[in-house]
Amino acid sequence: MRHEVKKISRIVDELTTMLLKDDTNEVDFKIKMDLKQTVITIVDYHSRCDEKKIERLRESLSIQRQHEMEEYYWQLAGESDCDDELTLVGAMIDEATIELKDGNLHIQLIRYRE
Amino acid sequence: MIPIRKVEEKKLSQDQLIFRLSIFPILFLVFGLFVQTQAESWSTNMVNIFTSPGTLLTDFFEVGGIRAAFTNAALMGGLTLYLLHRYQVRIGGLSIAAFFTVLGFSFFGKNPLNIFPIFVGGAIYCRYQRIQMRDILLVLLFSTGLSPIVSQLMFAGIFPIRIAIILGMGFGCLIGFIIVPISAHMLRFHDGFNLYNLGFTAGIIGTIFTSIMRSFKIEIEPVFLVYQRNHGLMIVFLACLFVYLILLGIGINRDVVHKYWSILRFPGRTVTDFTMLVGYGITFVNMGIMGLLSLLYVVLIGGVLNGPVLAAILTVVGFSAFGKHPKNSFFVILGVWIAAVFFGYSLNSTGMILSVLFATTIAPIAGTYGPIAGIIAGMLHLALVTNIGGVHGGINLYNNGFSGGLVAGFFVPIIDAFKKGGK
Repeated sequence: MRHEVKKISRIVDELTTMLLKDDTNEVDFKIKMDLKQTVITIVDYHSRCDEKKIERLRESLSIQRQHEMEEYYWQLAGESDCDDELTLVGAMIDEATIELKDGNLHIQLIRYRE
Repeated sequence: MIPIRKVEEKKLSQDQLIFRLSIFPILFLVFGLFVQTQAESWSTNMVNIFTSPGTLLTDFFEVGGIRAAFTNAALMGGLTLYLLHRYQVRIGGLSIAAFFTVLGFSFFGKNPLNIFPIFVGGAIYCRYQRIQMRDILLVLLFSTGLSPIVSQLMFAGIFPIRIAIILGMGFGCLIGFIIVPISAHMLRFHDGFNLYNLGFTAGIIGTIFTSIMRSFKIEIEPVFLVYQRNHGLMIVFLACLFVYLILLGIGINRDVVHKYWSILRFPGRTVTDFTMLVGYGITFVNMGIMGLLSLLYVVLIGGVLNGPVLAAILTVVGFSAFGKHPKNSFFVILGVWIAAVFFGYSLNSTGMILSVLFATTIAPIAGTYGPIAGIIAGMLHLALVTNIGGVHGGINLYNNGFSGGLVAGFFVPIIDAFKKGGK
């Protein structure tokens, strides 16, 4: 897959912007790439998100992977700070898990390599 | 942050959605059979369309008559749906926008012959990069806005016919090969505030191509071959198609009357896929409403519903699945209007109607930054669009997309410079 590392960076960029802007001031990111998949693990400390907001975030990130959208628009992810591109991030990943534990928001995103 | 709300509506499979969209090319074919205005045979008119240089503004109603123009649009629409089905592309906001854009521009500029080499180039690119056709199909569909390059080289009489065919096919393939990386890169210039990103990309490529041709003393200039008669039946026919979209939306989501307004809160910046954000029901209703409003505008202003205007209306309808709605479009249109009155343009001329309808490409500026920014952007758009056609010699059919990209890339950073506070 072309520009794979750059696409992962864009996803992280977009989520960093969104979390720091709308929710918290402390975020951890871990990225693990192997031949089959990339796993992005995010811990958003002292989250102010309520269940309703988390559910909506879950739905935004859980739309199916859309290769045609990704190939055309991936360079837009993380570009703007006036608006988010969660739909685009959702179109660039295959699985998303979002949970609130002890006041911290745990997000895990999986992107398969073809 | 405006995340997705869970949408409760009737679920349709991808094939069912394609079937519902196929009503458009089917009815276009039927309509073409019933309406005839020229004495020449259908086949002669089809040949005229296929061999027309197709540069802006070449109205296929004028070149080949209404029957052949509708047949060409039906062919192109059917071909687009076949490709979407064949490569299993999701029928979402972007693919709906691509379908209606191709359908519309088949009334002025696009035909199966001049888009063919672009797809061949795209297929070569896929092979070279080892990616699937599915990944780039939508970009290729939009990139057919550069198809006049193929027709111009093949049929404008610049070169002997054999060389012309080789050059036309060769340049078409080259466009298909290079368009994907260029279009993705161009997005960063306007940050998604110009919905017709391929228009901007095609404008850049067209400018480079035309400049090279002019360096060889080969002149490419825009033309003005536009049909100037109105047909009441065509207006009724289009209105029925837009009502069909509204009924289709209501059939999918019974609660659409109460929930339609939720679409108006979206700024519309790319990527705003309404089918994912508010569901297919509200999206189809939005498309129908935008189509009816556009048609009403043309009728009330006293304009002619010719090929280019039909293309503009259908493109607005398509992009109403991918960012446009009445609220973010209104202030941009108002800006174009104010500028038109100020500069003394005739509001009911075909060129002016096209500028008004296509100006909605920068609707996300109004949606994001408010009415004043939208009005100023609309005014800037008119100033630009009336002057940049000559730069690319009319070989980019998406002239307004080119202008919209320049306006957004220039204006959005200025708005940002004046914005105070925030993280």
